[in-house]
Amino acid sequence: MNILSDIYTALPEFFVLCMAMLILIVDLFLDDTQRYLTYALTQLTLLGAAVMTAVAHSNAVGYAFSGLFVDDAMAHTLKLMIYLSTSVVLVYSRTYIALRGMFRGEFFVLILFAMLGMMVMVSGQNFLTLYMGLELLSLCLYSLVALDRENARATEAAMKYFVLGALASGMLLYGMSMLYGMTGSLDLTQVSAAIMGGELNHPVLILGLVFVVAGLAFKLGAVPFQMWLPDVYHGAPTAVTLFIGSVTKLAAFAFVMRLLIQGLQILAHDWQGMLIIMAVLSIIIGNVAAIAQTNLKRMLAYSTISHVGFLLFGFFSGTMNGFVSSMFYIVAYVLMTLGGFGIILLLSREGFEAEELDDLRGLNVRSPWYAFIMLLLMFSMAGVPPTVGFYAKFAVMQAALQAGHVGLVVFAVLMAVVGAFYYLRIVKLMYFDEPLDAAPIQPPLDMALLLSANGLAVLAFGLLPERLMGVCATAILHSIQ
Amino acid sequence: MTLLLSFSEIVFYFLAAVLLYAGLRVITTRNPVQAALFLVLAFFTAAGIWMLLQAEFLAITLVLVYVGAVMVLFLFVVMMLDINLDRLREGFWDYFPLAGFVGVLMAIEMVMVLGTRHFGADWVIEPAPHAADYSNTAELGHLLYTDYVLPFELAAVILLVAIIAAIALTMRRRKNSKYTDPAQQVKVKRDDRLRIVKMQADVEQSVGIDGES
Amino acid sequence: MHVGLSHYLILGSLLFALSVVGIFLNRKNVIILLMAIELMLLAVNTNFIAFSHYLGNPTGQIFVFFILTVAAAESAIGLAILVLLFRNLKTINVDDMDVLKG
Repeated sequence: MNILSDIYTALPEFFVLCMAMLILIVDLFLDDTQRYLTYALTQLTLLGAAVMTAVAHSNAVGYAFSGLFVDDAMAHTLKLMIYLSTSVVLVYSRTYIALRGMFRGEFFVLILFAMLGMMVMVSGQNFLTLYMGLELLSLCLYSLVALDRENARATEAAMKYFVLGALASGMLLYGMSMLYGMTGSLDLTQVSAAIMGGELNHPVLILGLVFVVAGLAFKLGAVPFQMWLPDVYHGAPTAVTLFIGSVTKLAAFAFVMRLLIQGLQILAHDWQGMLIIMAVLSIIIGNVAAIAQTNLKRMLAYSTISHVGFLLFGFFSGTMNGFVSSMFYIVAYVLMTLGGFGIILLLSREGFEAEELDDLRGLNVRSPWYAFIMLLLMFSMAGVPPTVGFYAKFAVMQAALQAGHVGLVVFAVLMAVVGAFYYLRIVKLMYFDEPLDAAPIQPPLDMALLLSANGLAVLAFGLLPERLMGVCATAILHSIQ
Repeated sequence: MTLLLSFSEIVFYFLAAVLLYAGLRVITTRNPVQAALFLVLAFFTAAGIWMLLQAEFLAITLVLVYVGAVMVLFLFVVMMLDINLDRLREGFWDYFPLAGFVGVLMAIEMVMVLGTRHFGADWVIEPAPHAADYSNTAELGHLLYTDYVLPFELAAVILLVAIIAAIALTMRRRKNSKYTDPAQQVKVKRDDRLRIVKMQADVEQSVGIDGES
Repeated sequence: MHVGLSHYLILGSLLFALSVVGIFLNRKNVIILLMAIELMLLAVNTNFIAFSHYLGNPTGQIFVFFILTVAAAESAIGLAILVLLFRNLKTINVDDMDVLKG
């Protein structure tokens, strides 16, 4: 195929790449008072990429670069969501990073490169593309965590993240090498076809599969590979935690879809068991450990672990319905996490991190509106109707029920009730306790509007989930055969 | 013919033994400098094994890139940091029973799966040797610039990110570093260097200690 | 014994197991931890090259080429974080990292 048509297919990726390099150079010539220009250019890049992706949107599946890159409805939808949530992350964190000396060109360039890595992961159709995208993302994330150089806690978090992340990549690669050896190809479709063709050595495939699933679980943060998650969430600057906690999960979802569903669905019987064990353990550990936390960021980290458990329910159901509800779940999760960390960023100010649970005390007295937004977000994370979190849990549970996992669903519902305790504790702190802190809450206008919209969206998508569900269904059904 | 094969077998077993020994020393040795040097040895022997597998280009790349650049970077960092070796060794063997158990278990399971039963010489036949004018480098180069041009570009981006990240994380302007700027030196004017202070001529005033003026 | 594919794969698996043990043993010493990760990637690369040779398919070697590139970038960033850690804490001992208790 012609290289120009290949580039045309991957136009948003090339645009983001060129803009990131342009910003890198432009930033050299700016002094600190003009730095807002870097910020504006970054937002403009996101907008431009969104326009390109939206214009090219169709339900047809297109391949480029000798089949290494795929352009389908799922890739389009997830990419649009990635641009949107990255843009929200930048708006929320602008004041925070400016007060901590991180409002530098590197921050924005690394965010854009991380986003490029995610876009490649979402469109990866080959072990090699998936791996390169994953590493591009991970390397940017390690450095973003450590970017606040004087902050010893952040450096420590970056080191832990790096070592465990590299270990996970190693396991993933070992698994991929086994699968390559057995099927003779790195292409997901050909791998799938070769396994379907049968007469392959089963134990070796399973060995490869075990390593691939372990690597994926590390990256997702599922138990028993979750140990990095609380430390990284806690140690990283909150703006970076927001990015890691929200946007990257969209790419992780796509990664699992491509690798396990598109590539290895024939082995579903073998990976389902592993996913079930990880889902159950994640829900237990996530919910129980979250109760003991006094730090809001750590609590949200354990909450993420339990959400990953629920997400896996959709995957191991193994049906189209399950995958669609998993996608719905991840979108709802991103919406809630953006809002949750947005509130932490809102309450932080110069020299003060509002990351303890006590910092939320009496929020209702200080600002009834943001207390209400946080109430919506907490209800949604707990899965209280009529928020989007409830509907997301309902959808994955329904998919698991249809697949016949009645016992597991009953168990998960019970654990969700346990989990509701720590979310509702925050609501109690906000509404029934006296504030310890009387500093005024004055976010910039764009953040105020966006955070309000974010909170209300949690409610709106809970009341009218059909539209979002329809988008997810179209994306999955036109991409996975 | 048999003599030739047995020679390559001897080479394989020798290199494999050295590789495993070097790997073992990397993880158990006391001193990070020694560990780095054993890792260099491991890379060299691994390059030899890759040669046996006719991956000449990668074998040479491994030596050039890893031994030549990455390991030098490791040694730089080890020597730059003032590491207290004794503290690092405290409790080293505490984890040994667990680690040894997990390691041996993993190794046994993997060896069972990968053993000669499935991948023995009679199951997978040795591929026919390449023609005399075959160039491994040319073949890889051809693939890299045609089918795999996308990951090739991504690799470039990853290296760029590594440069940006390494500079952003470690470069700092020392407050006490002294340097001269020739442009400033040339542009200097008289007024920058010499300040003429106008002041009143000093008139002796005697101030009595006892308070009499 | 005739050297076949399984010999190379077993060598790779032993090297892989060795690096996992190394990561367990050197939980305190970050720099050796980074070396153990390099060892792990060496095991993976040996696997890919062995498969590539016996399948007569150069794709595996292409993958190794990219793993080498990525690993070089990765160790540059890892060492940068290590230097930063040493500056901030004056140690690379994992036990001294007690701010975050995972």
